[in-house]
Amino acid sequence: MSQHQILNAADHGQLRIHTEAGAAFGDNVMASLAMPAEFREVQAHYPIVFRRDAETGKLAALALFGFEAGENLFLNGSTWEARYRPMAHAVQPFLIGRPAEEGAAPQVHIDMANPRVATGGEGMRVFDDTGTPTPYLESIASMLGDLDYAWQEGAAFFTAVEAYGLVEPFTLEVTLDDGSIQSLVGYLTIHEERLSSLDGEALAALMAEGHLARIYMVLASLAQFGNLVSRKNRKVALG
Amino acid sequence: MSSPVQHIVIVGGGTAGWLSACVLAARLRDKRITLVEAPDIPTIGVGEGTWPTMRETLATIGIAEAEFLTQCDAAFKQGSRFDGWRDGSPDDSYLHPFSAPPAAELRDLAAAWQAGGQQGPFAAAITPQHGVCAANLAPRQRAMPDYAGALNYGYHLDAGKFAALLMRHATQRLGVTRIAAQVIGVTRAANGDIAALMLQNGAALGGDLFLDCSGQAAILIAGECGAEWVDRSDVSFNDSALAVQVPVEPGSPIAAQTIGTAHEAGWLWDIGLPTRRGIGCVYASRFLSDDRAADILMAYVAAKVPGADPASLTPRKLAFRTGHRDRFWIGNCLAIGLSAGFIEPLEASAIVLIELSLKALAENFPQSRAVMDIHAGRFNELFRYRWDRVVEFLKLHYVPSQRSEPYWQAQRAPETIPPRLAECLALWCEQAPSAWDFPRIDEMFPAASQQYVLHGMGVPVPLAGAAPAAPARLADIAAKARALAAALPTTRDYLDRLAAQSPAARIPA
Repeated sequence: MSQHQILNAADHGQLRIHTEAGAAFGDNVMASLAMPAEFREVQAHYPIVFRRDAETGKLAALALFGFEAGENLFLNGSTWEARYRPMAHAVQPFLIGRPAEEGAAPQVHIDMANPRVATGGEGMRVFDDTGTPTPYLESIASMLGDLDYAWQEGAAFFTAVEAYGLVEPFTLEVTLDDGSIQSLVGYLTIHEERLSSLDGEALAALMAEGHLARIYMVLASLAQFGNLVSRKNRKVALG
Repeated sequence: MSSPVQHIVIVGGGTAGWLSACVLAARLRDKRITLVEAPDIPTIGVGEGTWPTMRETLATIGIAEAEFLTQCDAAFKQGSRFDGWRDGSPDDSYLHPFSAPPAAELRDLAAAWQAGGQQGPFAAAITPQHGVCAANLAPRQRAMPDYAGALNYGYHLDAGKFAALLMRHATQRLGVTRIAAQVIGVTRAANGDIAALMLQNGAALGGDLFLDCSGQAAILIAGECGAEWVDRSDVSFNDSALAVQVPVEPGSPIAAQTIGTAHEAGWLWDIGLPTRRGIGCVYASRFLSDDRAADILMAYVAAKVPGADPASLTPRKLAFRTGHRDRFWIGNCLAIGLSAGFIEPLEASAIVLIELSLKALAENFPQSRAVMDIHAGRFNELFRYRWDRVVEFLKLHYVPSQRSEPYWQAQRAPETIPPRLAECLALWCEQAPSAWDFPRIDEMFPAASQQYVLHGMGVPVPLAGAAPAAPARLADIAAKARALAAALPTTRDYLDRLAAQSPAARIPA
C-alpha cells in the first residue's frame, strides 16, 4: 500500500532514504518506465520496448531489466551493474504531486510506504538540521522536474509513431544455455519495414519534431537483448 | 656472530605486547614468536585513543572492522577538540581533525580563510570534517568496505578489551605462543646480549630478539640493558592524572573526537565509547593538589555527562614521569610502548608510537645478529627524533595560550620552550609550516597538524608570498560538508545497529 505525503521539513526533517541498490529496496523489478527524452542513455544499457495500456489504449515505453516479473538481471547484491537508471525508477521513493489549483507549481511528494524510506539512523538525509534541503534532495527535485517535463513532452512521440503506423507486436523466444526457453510476449516495438518505406515528407516531419532519432534509439536498443540473454545465462549457470 | 634471528620473545601482555605479537606474526611469517606475561599484573588501561594508522594495522593483522568495533566497545575518532585553551572564554574551542587538505593547497586555503575575514573556525573552512564532528556523525557508512571512510578516522576503544582481542587473535589465528609466567632475570651471551629469560617457574626461555613491552617497569631495557632515562618534565609539566569511567545513557550521542578541556593547571580528557565515557583530569602536581584536581574532575562530569552521578565514582590516581629512554634498542633488546617513554595523552601518541616502532622493525628486520647493531643505531636516531617532535608538538598547544593562571604563564616561559620549537614559531610568523620543517618519512605531526593547532589557538596565518585560493575552493569544501552531513549516520546509530546485527559479539570473552 502506498502512502503519499507532501514532502516538508516539519514532518520529514529527520527522514533518511536508502540510496543504495538492493532487492530489499524494491529494485527487484523487470522493467521501468522510460521517457523518450532519455532513450539515448537508456539504449546504451537496456532494451526499450512499448506496452499498450489495456484500459486507455495509450502507449508507453519500458526499459527491460529481466525476462520475468521480479527479475532484475542488473542487480547484483547492493550493486546495480549499469551506469544509468531510468529516471522513473531512480527518483523513488519520491513522486511529483500536482496541487488542485490550475497552474500551481508541482510539489515533491514521497511514498512513506516505499522500502527506501529508512527507519533507523542510516541513509541519506533529505533536510539538514536547519530544515534546508540537502544536496541529495536538490538533485532529486531536479530529476523530478526533468521527469515531469519528459513525461509531458513524450506524449507527442507516441502519437507520432501511432499516426505513421510504426508500431508492431513482437515476441521474443530465446533458448538458454541449459536448453530452457525464455519468452517475452505482449510487448511492441518499431515496425522496421514500415519505417524504411516512409516517404521523404514523412521522414522530414518526424525529424523536424525530434522523433526520428528516438525511433532509431529504440531500434538500436534491441541489440541489448543479447546482453540481457547473456546475463540470464550467467544467472542460470550460477543456479 | 652471524646467527639468524628466528625467535622473537616479547615480555609483557598489554596493548604494546599483544600489538607487537600480532603485527610481527602477520608481517614476518617465517619467525617464531613467544609472548611471556605475568598473569597477575594488571594492564594500565589508559591509551584509549588511536590514530588513523590503526586501520591499516588492523587490516594487516587480519581483524575485521566490525569484529574490532564490537569486541573492543570501540567508536570512531576523527580528531581532537580543544576547549578553553586559548583564553577559557565560553566560545573558546578548536578542532584538530584527522583529515588534512592536500598539502599543496593548504597554504593557499589558509590564506583565503584569513583574507576572507576568518568566517568561522579555521578547521571548518578547510575540511568538511569539522561539520561532521560537530554533528556527532560517523566517518563512514556500514555498507562501505572495511577500514574505508568518507573521512580520515581512528578509534576510541576499551584498552583492556583491545588487549584481550589481540591476545585471542595472536594465539588462535597467528600462531603466537603465550607463556604465563613472571620474568625474574636473564642469562647473558658472551657478547652481552640477552640469551634467555629466567622465569619464575624455573624454566629458561631463549630467544634471538627480545622486545621489552613491560610498561613503565622497563625490566629489560632499563633493568638489564642500562638505558638511561631522559627527563622531559622541564618542557612538559603534567605528572598526574585522576581517571574515571562514567556510564552513559542508552541512545546518548557519541562524540566524534576526543575532547580536551583546559583547566587552571592542566586539562581534562573525555573519550566517548558506546557504553561509557572515559574522563580524566591531567595536572601538574606542583601547581595543583589532588583534592583540587578531584573537584575539577567531578565538576566536569556533573556538567558534561547527562544522568551521571559523580558521588558514585571513585577516581583512580595515576602518577607518571614524562620522558623517554636515551636508547630504545640495545644489543638484542628493543623497547616498545611505555617501556620506551611516556608523555601526557594530549595527542594520543602512545599507541601510534607502538605502531611506528613495529613498522620500523618489520620493514628493517635484522635477519642476522651481524647487522642488528646497524638497525639499532638507526632506530635509536629515528625515535629520538620522533620523541623530540612529540614533545615539541604537545608544547605547541600551550605556548600561544593567553590564559593567566600561574601554570599557564609557566608553560610559555621561554626557558621551557625547546629551541627547535622556538625557531619554528619565529619562522611561522613569516611563512606557513611546511614539509621544510618536517622532512622525514612518516612525520607524526606534519604541517597540517601544526596549522590546525596554531590557527586554532589564534596565531595569524602569514600572508607574505601566499596566493589566497579562490573563494570558490572554500565554497567547494562547504558544499562537500553539506553532502557528507546528509549521507552519514550518527556514530550512535551506526554502532547500535552494528551491535544489533552481531549480538554474539557483545558477550565478554
